[in-house]
Amino acid sequence: MVGMTVARSSDLGESGLVERAVSGDVEAFEELYRVNVGRVYALCLRMAGDPTLAEELAQEAFVRAWQKLGSFRGASAFSTWLHRVTVNVVLGHRRSATRREARVFAVGDDLPRDVAGRQPGTAESIDLERAISSLPDGARVVFILHDVEGFRHREISRLMGIAVGTSKAQLHRARKLLRKALTS
Amino acid sequence: MKCSEFASRIDGYLDGRLRPEDEEALRNHLAECPACAEETEAVKDLRRRTARLPRSLEPPRNLWPEIANRIAAETVVQGRFVRRALMAAAAVVLLAGSVVTAYIVGRSQTGTIVENRQVIETSPSEIVLASFDELGVDDYVVTRGKLLGALEARRDDLSPETLEVLMANLKVIDDAMGKIAEALGEEPDNEFLMKQLAAAYRRQINLMETAVRLPAEV
Repeated sequence: MVGMTVARSSDLGESGLVERAVSGDVEAFEELYRVNVGRVYALCLRMAGDPTLAEELAQEAFVRAWQKLGSFRGASAFSTWLHRVTVNVVLGHRRSATRREARVFAVGDDLPRDVAGRQPGTAESIDLERAISSLPDGARVVFILHDVEGFRHREISRLMGIAVGTSKAQLHRARKLLRKALTS
Repeated sequence: MKCSEFASRIDGYLDGRLRPEDEEALRNHLAECPACAEETEAVKDLRRRTARLPRSLEPPRNLWPEIANRIAAETVVQGRFVRRALMAAAAVVLLAGSVVTAYIVGRSQTGTIVENRQVIETSPSEIVLASFDELGVDDYVVTRGKLLGALEARRDDLSPETLEVLMANLKVIDDAMGKIAEALGEEPDNEFLMKQLAAAYRRQINLMETAVRLPAEV
């Protein structure tokens, strides 16, 4: 009962902050930033696999959210909407980066050096973070979206502009590589 | 059931999203295929570990100051843009009424009016021409030149008052197009402004075509 009361007052607080932010209140938007930055940064870090790039993408996600606040209808929680905005920002960057340069992601190198060092968690989760960050780009993004963030293959297919079968194949590949990395 | 078919349905199976008959087929396959059974356990284990990952990770530095700067800069640009867009829109609204009324009033006026040759003597600015490229209007200068030439040829047929009013209104449209093009310079993808520019173009061309067809007054 107490938990419900807390949750309801938190929801009310969020909707009040969103309402104020929509009307141009930057302080209210800063409060929304404080509440959500951890999840946004975690998503960017895991999808991008690069701490510096993750900071840039997280900033871009909040700027984009500010620009699009007027289109937020409140059909879902603000955090859910922001999550979608963040995924679109990261995938948009990924598409433009792919166009700009052919980046080579080699399995096992270019580990995000401070992912493991900065994140809270057990040795087990740190090993898993490292293994995820070492996945090839496409497999990593599909794995994060599907297994960590809970997107379905159909949604991933639409968001990434790939076939559903490709999304499934990338997930299968990611899991296989992760198992190999975690048992070695 | 083939192993590849099983692999494509494993998530549906683990999430309990399969139809009962499909789920039963998968269970039967698992009972007969040690490789797929092992795969299923491995995926279950990986999903358990993934579910324990922290959902939130604090960034190594405070990202807010840069976000705040970008938001502030954007608010300033947006404010400036909105003012420019409103000015451009107002100019178009103004000219829509003024073209008709000034023409009627001008024709009824008596006395000497100094002829306005500014439209004929000046060319559209570069920024207007660049905006017309975006509109897909590639013969604006030629069309405008021909119509102005035709008006010039009719100089002796039309009264000085009519010519004065025509030129004054063509200039109003020129100025409006200049303002719209300037606003487009800051927001090239703004469809509203592109429509206003296209409308101004049509009004100017229509006005000149109408003027060329006016019956002789002198």
